[in-house]
Amino acid sequence: MQTVTAKLDLEVSRIIKAPRDRVWNAWADPERLAQWWIPRPLTCRVVSLDVQPGGAFVTEMSEDGGPFVPHLSACFLDVRPKERIVYTNALTGGWRPATNGFVTAIITLADHPDGTHYRAQALHKSRADREKHEELGFHDGWGTVVAQLAELVEAKT
Amino acid sequence: MLPTAQQQPDGLSTIFLALADPTRRAVIARLGQGPASVSELASPFDMGLPSFMKHIRLLENSGMIRTQKAGRTRTCVIDGPGLSNAERWLAEQRRVWEAQADRLEGFVMQEQEEEANNANRDR
Repeated sequence: MQTVTAKLDLEVSRIIKAPRDRVWNAWADPERLAQWWIPRPLTCRVVSLDVQPGGAFVTEMSEDGGPFVPHLSACFLDVRPKERIVYTNALTGGWRPATNGFVTAIITLADHPDGTHYRAQALHKSRADREKHEELGFHDGWGTVVAQLAELVEAKT
Repeated sequence: MLPTAQQQPDGLSTIFLALADPTRRAVIARLGQGPASVSELASPFDMGLPSFMKHIRLLENSGMIRTQKAGRTRTCVIDGPGLSNAERWLAEQRRVWEAQADRLEGFVMQEQEEEANNANRDR
């Protein structure tokens, strides 16, 4: 259904030597998810894992036992138990548009002779959109710095 | 993200050289707002095109700008890590996803192993 664009999207894939049920549980059970979702030494708190279309997917992280800060706020778009999870950070729970979303993730689980074929695809904003954004930011950043540098040089001469 | 000087170690001094001239500074300041044609850039200056082109060439050689000719118009744009930023960004995203898949796999394998050990012990 979706189109994957090499310069925009990415896909990671693993053959996990465990049954699909087990991989699904690692994803869909908050206690399990919290154990691998964020790299150590950060700790993860799963605030919401409402695994159904429109459900909120919210995680927080803490460093060195400090306060928990936002990590991900997303909305599940499609869920087929033990097969597929689709979520995006372009929306928050209940389909509400988010401010700064940029990715839709498609997680797919399939049976494999050695266990489970796990696939995660990340679809990012359109290239044109991103380049426009970057160009603006780039011109802002680079243009401003160079202009300031030029002013500095100007003032000295 | 801050702009980086060009790859060569003397990148910064090339940039200072490029900026040591008011005409070139004005060109850079103008290009900071977006791409422009050479004739558009040259219009504020009382200078022949060949002389103005020397400034453009110097800026181009310093790696600060890129120029591209389409038909009879040469367009200038500030050069920098623009596209490679996009590529770096995507590479960083990939790294994040790869590491996440590794952690998931690690977690699942460990859980499976622990349960198998427990089952053996209880038997």
